[in-house]
Amino acid sequence: MKKTDLKNLIIDLQDFYLLSFHGLLGIIKKPFYLKETIEQMDYAGAGSSLIIFLVSLFIGMALSLQLSAELSILGLKMYTGRVVGISVIREIGPVTAALVFAGRVGAGMASELGSMILGHQVDTLRVFGVDPIKRLVTPRIISSLIMLPALTIIGDAVSLFGGYYIAVFVSYQSGSYYWGSIRDILTFENVFAGSVKPFLFGYLIACISCYMGLSTKGGAIGLRRSTTRAVVTSMIVIIVSDFMLTRILLYVLGFSV
Amino acid sequence: MIVFDRVWFSYGANQVLKDLSFSIDAHEKVAILGGSGVGKTTILKLIVGLIRPDSGRIIIDGEDITNKSEDELREVRLKFSIVFQEGALFDSLNVKENVAFCLREYTKMSEDEIDRQVRELLRVVGVEEAIDLMPDELSGGMHRRVSIARSLAACKPKMFLYDEPTSGLDPINADNICRLILELSTPPSPPLSKGGIEGGRRGFIIVTHKVFDAIKVAERFMFLKDDITIFDGSKEELADTTIPEIQSFIEELRFKHQGKQ
Repeated sequence: MKKTDLKNLIIDLQDFYLLSFHGLLGIIKKPFYLKETIEQMDYAGAGSSLIIFLVSLFIGMALSLQLSAELSILGLKMYTGRVVGISVIREIGPVTAALVFAGRVGAGMASELGSMILGHQVDTLRVFGVDPIKRLVTPRIISSLIMLPALTIIGDAVSLFGGYYIAVFVSYQSGSYYWGSIRDILTFENVFAGSVKPFLFGYLIACISCYMGLSTKGGAIGLRRSTTRAVVTSMIVIIVSDFMLTRILLYVLGFSV
Repeated sequence: MIVFDRVWFSYGANQVLKDLSFSIDAHEKVAILGGSGVGKTTILKLIVGLIRPDSGRIIIDGEDITNKSEDELREVRLKFSIVFQEGALFDSLNVKENVAFCLREYTKMSEDEIDRQVRELLRVVGVEEAIDLMPDELSGGMHRRVSIARSLAACKPKMFLYDEPTSGLDPINADNICRLILELSTPPSPPLSKGGIEGGRRGFIIVTHKVFDAIKVAERFMFLKDDITIFDGSKEELADTTIPEIQSFIEELRFKHQGKQ
């Protein structure tokens, strides 16, 4: 790595940190942009719900199908509900929702802000004395912090129903036993572990996408580059932070590996 | 009002301005001319503090703004009314909301007052009928006009800054924009004062590569080439200059003029 590359990387990280910090601080600092926040929530939440529904349904069904087949060999088919439930609530649900969110909402944020940069709209905001981070980034952070956890809950429920359908109608297991297993694993630890992640993922996706969008340079090609970078970086960060958070949560909640 | 003192600026390895010094009074009508990429728009961005020079000082109203923070620059920016190339309207807002943007942001006007003020400003710039349209439904000329109306609503500017206000426009629309630029810089006629625009002669800086339009509106001309100013003078001096690059621009002007006749 060249010296200038390293310098640019440090500058980028510093700018990203400043944007993330000020964007979050904007939640408690006036002025509040309620209309923009609601618009962003509508775009991020209502607009993504159908995609989350479809993806989660088929992931739950595929997971249940695969586990039923494997567990049948071991004579442990009755544990399908338990394993599906743990996997969906703690890992697959939050990560799937976050990846879909990054692909749809993150890309949208980066391209929208990027085109505002290229059209001098962000410069215009600054000339009018409006803080672009407060006006553009904070509403997107708030909407992600609220809508991604909500979408994750919907996705989890749909995945569990998908798993139920396969377990009962394809693998011929008892439906009440399936739901009983799910109820057993809905402990504080599991629910807590599954619900912390979407908040972190939502925050990271919003910050990364806004940062990439606001650092767009160089016309249409630059816009394509920043949108791609926003999605790819968000996805990598989601997977890596999921691993780190899982490790931390297992330790904090007293699980032994 | 504006002083550039030995300003250097580069975008990465690309040196854009080299040791640039000049001063402009608030009442002057200045055109900054030159080909693409010579740093004309960069000068406007430096004036309002959107970018910082690599070295040198920029002084506005006796205040050095070179190292001011974003919060401190807010006051400086309100002294100018800047109209970016292509208008830079917020494309998620309709014309009314674009013009009303700063009225909502900084005043406690009622809806009726905002509506009245917006209509008056749109009438002043001649696009009242476009009040409910979205930016992508406007023609190039209307775009600029709405942008000018929005910048008028933003503040009580001491000076206007126009970035390529006539680029991409047909000659009739370009002519109308030039007329509007002149109207806004002279002491207000009744329609302007009704629009809430304060009186007094205000200057402007117009950045353009269209000499023909610049000559219609400006009194002082600066010509940039290869990172430096190669000419700074009046209309008469511009016509008599022997600098080859400027002569070729003037030739272009004469050619166009003859073509019109």
